[in-house]
Amino acid sequence: MRKFSLAVAALAALAVLGPTWPDLQTVQAAAPAEIVPAKPLPDVPRNQTVILGWSISSPIGVTNPWAVPGYTHQEGNVFMWEPLMYYAIFADKYIPWLATSMEYTNKDFTELEIKLNPMAAWSDGVPVTAKDVVFTFEGQKNNEKLPYHAAFQQFVDTVKAVDDHTVNVKFKIPAPRFKFEVLTEKFDTGIPIVPEHVLSKQADVTAYAGGAEIPHSGPYDLVAWNANQKIYNLRPDWWAAKAGLIAEPAVKRIIMVNIGGQIGQNMDTVAQRLVNNEFDSALDMRSSVIGNILAQNPKITTHTGNKSPYGYLDWWPNSLWVNTQLAPYNDPRVRRAISLAINRDQIDEVVYEGAKISTIFPFPLYPGLKAFVDTPEVKALEEKYQPRKFDLAESAKLMTDAGFKKNSDGLWAKDGKTLDCTIHAFQGIHSDIVPVLAEMLHKAGFDAAIDFSADANQKMADGAPGLYMFGHGASLKDPYAAFELFHGRFSANIGTTAGNNRFSRYKNPEFDAVLDQMAPLSADDPKFKELADKALEIYWKEQIDIPIIQWLHRIAYNQTYWTNWPTTENLAAGTNGAFWAQTGMLVITNLKPSGK
Amino acid sequence: MSLKLIFRRLMFLVLVVWSASTITFFIPRFSDRNAIRERFAELARTGGFAPADLEKIIAAYSKQFGLDLPLWQQYLNYLWGVLRLDFGYSLNRYPSTVIQLIEQTLPWTIALLLVTTILSFLLGNLMGALAAWQRSPPWVRAIATPFILLQGVPPVLVGVLLLFLVGFKLRWLPLGGAYSIGAIPNWSWDFFWDSILHQILPALSLILGSAGGWVLSMRGMGVTIQGEDYVNFAEHKGLGGLRIFRDYYLRNALLPQVTAFALALGTVVTSAIVVEGIFALPGVGSLLQLAIQANDFPVIYGIVLFITIAVATLMVLMEFLYPLLDPRIRTQ
Repeated sequence: MRKFSLAVAALAALAVLGPTWPDLQTVQAAAPAEIVPAKPLPDVPRNQTVILGWSISSPIGVTNPWAVPGYTHQEGNVFMWEPLMYYAIFADKYIPWLATSMEYTNKDFTELEIKLNPMAAWSDGVPVTAKDVVFTFEGQKNNEKLPYHAAFQQFVDTVKAVDDHTVNVKFKIPAPRFKFEVLTEKFDTGIPIVPEHVLSKQADVTAYAGGAEIPHSGPYDLVAWNANQKIYNLRPDWWAAKAGLIAEPAVKRIIMVNIGGQIGQNMDTVAQRLVNNEFDSALDMRSSVIGNILAQNPKITTHTGNKSPYGYLDWWPNSLWVNTQLAPYNDPRVRRAISLAINRDQIDEVVYEGAKISTIFPFPLYPGLKAFVDTPEVKALEEKYQPRKFDLAESAKLMTDAGFKKNSDGLWAKDGKTLDCTIHAFQGIHSDIVPVLAEMLHKAGFDAAIDFSADANQKMADGAPGLYMFGHGASLKDPYAAFELFHGRFSANIGTTAGNNRFSRYKNPEFDAVLDQMAPLSADDPKFKELADKALEIYWKEQIDIPIIQWLHRIAYNQTYWTNWPTTENLAAGTNGAFWAQTGMLVITNLKPSGK
Repeated sequence: MSLKLIFRRLMFLVLVVWSASTITFFIPRFSDRNAIRERFAELARTGGFAPADLEKIIAAYSKQFGLDLPLWQQYLNYLWGVLRLDFGYSLNRYPSTVIQLIEQTLPWTIALLLVTTILSFLLGNLMGALAAWQRSPPWVRAIATPFILLQGVPPVLVGVLLLFLVGFKLRWLPLGGAYSIGAIPNWSWDFFWDSILHQILPALSLILGSAGGWVLSMRGMGVTIQGEDYVNFAEHKGLGGLRIFRDYYLRNALLPQVTAFALALGTVVTSAIVVEGIFALPGVGSLLQLAIQANDFPVIYGIVLFITIAVATLMVLMEFLYPLLDPRIRTQ
């Protein structure tokens, strides 16, 4: 009893002395609370409301694009923030927005002039001017916490406001892709312009949440946000409608419903809610689920209608990446042997019902890239290196040459250890393809297993042994950005984290030299094409990673209340149909009522 | 009940909370996963996030959250936070604080799980008592049987079946969410009934899956109690059936069930994780699941501590209540 009382007394002392220890966290950032409307929201009929299903996990109240790490554009913030320009992938054109033009003013791509739309304005009535653009660019350049800091630091020399609606940007080195890659929003990349008159007043811009009050240029105001949903109302004074860029949207309210869990979870219930017309659209689905949805509700369609593959080509083609600095994955023969064990035709047949989805490229075959791969030079390379080949005998020969022998279990082994071909992947999005890959590899004698654990991404970043099923979110118009993923300057050594998804850690001075020569050239330059062919040759010859599939976004569009979703038959705004992408605002504002 | 006893029980409560907090502190630390790094990795994966030097930014945030301090110092800071019920910021959902996240999610969990656990307890024990009571008509005894059969069925499966049949096919009840899409929580009757409608299917899946356990255990107790001398004596005295059932039979059979009930409340969050996921309820279970997946240990600490304190407090309260239920303990 005495010892017990002493123990308790010690705890009590802790309570008394506690104030002498420093607080665990001394940050005084304004923690966001729920966003509750001051008065009841006006009723908006269902046929003027779009209801979207999404796994909302960002902190409530974070709407500031510079709030790091809380902000994500994917959870409705694209309805509030706008860029200088958008890019419509299926129309293959720029859509000028806050800027009417962005033009390089010299031949070596070291100077860019931006002209702003004089009618652009923030939701508090303050005009969007060159000051905002300068503030946005300089912020990205000087604040190392901001998402595009690396790109601005590398390329941007000076940013000047010539007048209220003209900005001049000078680059340190030729930057032919800066306008597209950084300043134009498409898919998940590109930067929005932020309000100088608001963020310049913050002591720490990355700690400022924003809430519902932050002035924004986009068409929708955030009016409510809690753990269940986010509600946006169309603001009648949206500048883009007044400027004639777009007709007044028919969608007066957007509700993003939190479907819970991590992205890709609970999709069966989501599917049911789509079929029951509770949702107009939701996160993309696996083929078996979307097929069922289409069968049960004839009002639901997809990018390809009710025909396989039910989706559009996304910008994230997946490969089996490996850590090329880690033995034995550092041996190109081993990597090639793995590739030879993959039957891509069978993948198309089994997983995609015959649709040609498997790939041999680290980039999606959008028009610009399709034109590149259809050239005779690339065809010749394909003939020479046979990247699509499926040949178990050749795979076995390469493994034998690399010093492996099959053990008593029929698995490739060296020095008593099998070659670890565990595939680290994400269950929510890879549950259909990865088991097929694992089986193929196993048949070829590779010790394959599946890792869908919560820290799979961490293992990829740490360069763990095994294979990583992951995409290449890079190229859209020309192959440079995809190849740049393998540039040696990004290849972290073993023991460090592979930043920004550059998991291969590939180091090849010859490859780097080719890319360095490509960097300052426009894709129209014949020399660029020649160098791109060379880079692709090295990619295939070295088998830097093992390309598997193009990525499909199988998104269900419920036409019960809304039509004009982007499909193969209907271009709409020319963008992809993902409402969570940077171009999501264009998808929603172009919807038309079905008449119900 | 003496003051000394009360003091001892309270001190024991403190010790339980301290032990639980200590174990909870160290368990996530065995993993080398870094919640901050994972959040940035997710941002890079989904948003083209390409800051200058990711390691530098992660180091800066780690310093901000005190993760660069020696483990013993982090532990002491953590204990101090426990005493003040301040668990700081969520690593994965910064700048939301842990308390904020729990406040946002707790009402849904309490509303659903507390109510269903109590209902399941009451219903299950009543059915179990009636099932064992010899004077019950056969049809009353038969009611318990389906619940016993369902006892082996996990709530998740019951939930999925209910969703499909009642929500999807018949469209009698909502398919998910805590309330209707577009509704703003308020204190009106309309919102109250809307919430109730949305809780029916999740509640049913929990009750149907767990009531059987109470039925079985109560029935077992009931069979034992019925053979006791005092019950026989009450019958021979000519007391009414209802009085014997309530005062002699049920009251004595219920005693161990009350203890089990307190323990059951501690396990509700396990059920919550699954049921809240299926029905997209923004409760503590969903929050805990996401926190575990992201190794967001401040949130894990907050939730686990909250459950520990709640259960330990309940156990202490049960101890104080027991003498009211059982005069024999009062005498001791």
